[in-house]
Amino acid sequence: MPSEFQAEPRAINGRAPDVFTPDGWVPMRGHADDKEVDFLIVGTGAGGGTLACKLAEAGFSVVAMDAGPYWRPLQDFASDETEQQKLYWTDERIVDGDNPITMGANNSGKSVGGSTVHFAMVSLRMRPEHFATRTKLGYGVDWPICWEEMWKYYDEVEKTLKIAGPVRYPWGPKRGRYPMRAHPMNAAAEYLARGAEALGIDWTETPIATLSAPHGKAHPCVYRGFCVTGCSTNAKQSVLVSWLPRALKAGAEIRDLSMVGRIETKNGRCTGVHYVREGEWRFQRARHVVVAGYAIETPRLLLNSASDAFPDGLANSSGLVGKNLMVQLNQAAWGQVADEVRSYKGPPSLAISEHWNYADMGKDYFGGWSYMSQGPLPISWAKTLAGGHGLWGQALIDEMARNNHSVGLKMVGEVLPDERNRVTLADETDQYGLRIPRITFSHSENDKAMMNHAVDFMDRSLAATGATERWKEMSDTCHLNGTARMGNDPATSVVDADCRSWDIPNLWVCDGSVFPTVGGVNPSLTIQAVACRTADRIKALAARGEL
Amino acid sequence: MAASRIDIVATRLIAGGAAMLASSVLADSGLEHYRGSFANPTMVLPLGSAALSIAVNARRSGKPESGGSEAPTISHVASTAVGLIGLGFHVYNVTKRPGGLTFTNLFYGAPVGAPASLVLSGMLGGIADRLSKGEEELGPIGLTSGRAVGGVVSVGILGTVGEAALLHFRGAYHDPFMWLPVTLPPIAAISLGRDVIEDTVRPATTVLLAATAVVGILGVGFHAYGVARNMGGFRNWRQNILAGPPIPAPPAFTGLAIAGLGALLLMKARR
Ligand SMILES: Cc1cc2nc3c(=O)[nH]c(=O)nc-3n(C[C@H](O)[C@H](O)[C@H](O)COP(=O)(O)OP(=O)(O)OC[C@H]3O[C@@H](n4cnc5c(N)ncnc54)[C@H](O)[C@@H]3O)c2cc1C
Ligand code: SF4
Repeated sequence: MPSEFQAEPRAINGRAPDVFTPDGWVPMRGHADDKEVDFLIVGTGAGGGTLACKLAEAGFSVVAMDAGPYWRPLQDFASDETEQQKLYWTDERIVDGDNPITMGANNSGKSVGGSTVHFAMVSLRMRPEHFATRTKLGYGVDWPICWEEMWKYYDEVEKTLKIAGPVRYPWGPKRGRYPMRAHPMNAAAEYLARGAEALGIDWTETPIATLSAPHGKAHPCVYRGFCVTGCSTNAKQSVLVSWLPRALKAGAEIRDLSMVGRIETKNGRCTGVHYVREGEWRFQRARHVVVAGYAIETPRLLLNSASDAFPDGLANSSGLVGKNLMVQLNQAAWGQVADEVRSYKGPPSLAISEHWNYADMGKDYFGGWSYMSQGPLPISWAKTLAGGHGLWGQALIDEMARNNHSVGLKMVGEVLPDERNRVTLADETDQYGLRIPRITFSHSENDKAMMNHAVDFMDRSLAATGATERWKEMSDTCHLNGTARMGNDPATSVVDADCRSWDIPNLWVCDGSVFPTVGGVNPSLTIQAVACRTADRIKALAARGEL
Repeated sequence: MAASRIDIVATRLIAGGAAMLASSVLADSGLEHYRGSFANPTMVLPLGSAALSIAVNARRSGKPESGGSEAPTISHVASTAVGLIGLGFHVYNVTKRPGGLTFTNLFYGAPVGAPASLVLSGMLGGIADRLSKGEEELGPIGLTSGRAVGGVVSVGILGTVGEAALLHFRGAYHDPFMWLPVTLPPIAAISLGRDVIEDTVRPATTVLLAATAVVGILGVGFHAYGVARNMGGFRNWRQNILAGPPIPAPPAFTGLAIAGLGALLLMKARR
């Protein structure tokens, strides 16, 4: 079991932990509960943390709360998969549907910095056409924002995170140079490259959010590969070490170990939030409330905040809060090769092919997918072998002993929006007395056709590089999005293009929940780009007196 | 013909530059080939030939008029040959990687510029050797005018700039001082090249070469700082010396610039 993790709030009494120095502190502006702050943000992950920084820098008073602890990676993170479970959101949830989603490690974090503290750093732009799938490709729904605008904000996020990427990116419109150069490829990545070359498609070094050169007080990557259990060198550009130090400097307050249970409304507007800290329920007054708790906790909070005026939950006149949950497909092909690959060395996904995000021919399904080289750590590899491959006992031990020769490819695939996939409230309650989420998910025929195509293709790629004893892992899923979609019409969306709720003018949603569609790329870069855009829009609206 | 005082000083500088260059090669290839676990036994060759080259060139620099033995000639031929063979290996190492001649392979494959330094050290050492023996020509090439040495140095500096430019690009020029070795030395090399072609010596060239020599020394400090910025700093030196920027690489500029100053002396003396 993980050690007793940080139980006392650290960001109090005018200071917050300095993530760059052991035992260090930085000054932090405090805000009294009864003083109305301009923006109260729930969640400090990819959406909330980014927005907190940008709004504070624009001069607004900001308090951002997170249910998770405020870590100093240099001293709090161990190179130990079990210990690092302390980063995951493992509160009780009910999962059902035909394909219940496994929650926790692979999809949700509970820390200041959100899931980005243990994410895999893959930082991709969505294909331009994927912002308008309905009009351009005939499926899903269009985003209310055009791709040109999104690509402008991608630039900003990539600069901030010092993304290390290839000198030339093979797919899509021309993009500016990545701020840092690509990392050296590990052997697992070379297998992807050789396979792609054999099958005649493009591949490239994956653009990732870990430093290939020093930046400020953050060290460059040391290639030990503990990324998905939290990076102890600060090379990984999580929200915790990138946007939040800036947010603090600009005057934002980050309140760690603060679980928001309910948003209060009066006369059709939000007045603040009820939250628990140090075992005590408190109320923080706010002019605006932004929900950025991730695709499960965001709808849960909106639904849990139902009142007489909003009996179906907040921002829910369309009835869409919690609906259209989109998980991303994460199926894999694995095999054995003669040489030592040691795929767990270095960041896990150093090479990628986005071929099937950009190619529309040769598919019997809608949507796109990419695939990347893999580098599972030992415990997660053992779980994959036991769960995905059905090995147990001596067979599992034998297979684990050959780990240095295992090589694999994994997809990130687009799931289409479907109202039957949804987050609702269960009757059970959690440790705070709040109703827990019920997560219902079933794969569609489209998903299955995509999985089959992808896994066969990845298997062929492995075969082309000489891998033997190949097998297919058909059950895995990853990132979650889409439960409070944005759109142009209040009847078919929860928020507008600015992430402002249609129903309550001072309630906003700013995280992966707002995605109308997800494309075949990992979502965090897009979430941060949306947050940057939202901040710009809020500034513009404020200047016009329309906030 | 007895060598003039100026010729003696020039020989000292050229041999000294060659020794400095060989020192940079020895330390750098020692570290890099250690990192590569000497996977191929031939990876010890540059260490041996660079060490020998330091010895004979240092001796020549100290005693420019000692004529005699065959050892220096063997050393310089060996350096040049090992450097050329290394060049072949390094090009192969880069191009056999997936993608072939890509930026990533050039960044992280075996550096093409490093064995070239050994070739340069062999050539400069060989020239110093002949000058000290009073030999005025190498085949059709006249040596005493200094233009041949100047030409070698000019091209050598440009090659070294290419290597620094590539590797500093890999480091995304994250520190503004990383622009220094890719801006000043090329100007020095071009100025020297022009002097060689026009057979004149501009005062600016001397200043530029001296400044290039200083940049090479400063580079050691900057690279040490770069190493310190890795996780654990110098407490973790065994890993970070290998992971950070190569501390022994920048003095290659110094070695070349010193030999270039020797060339300028010869050119001046012949006017
Ligand atoms: C193992 C793993 C690997 C991943 N790899 C990649 C990758 O390589 N590339 C990529 O782009 N994406 C990756 N992701 C996904 C990415 O991390 C998420 O999509 C992204 O962080 C989601 O951003 P968010 O703002 O919606 O939520 P989060 O970043 O999860 O932030 C939500 C925060 O809100 C807090 N919170 C929730 N509810 C409340 C409440 N009621 N009160 C207070 N606080 C609350 C949570 O504690 C959490 O810290 C990965 C995720 C995981 C888990
Ligand atoms: S491999 Fe790099 S990014 Fe991953 S944990 Fe290690 S230092 Fe951090």
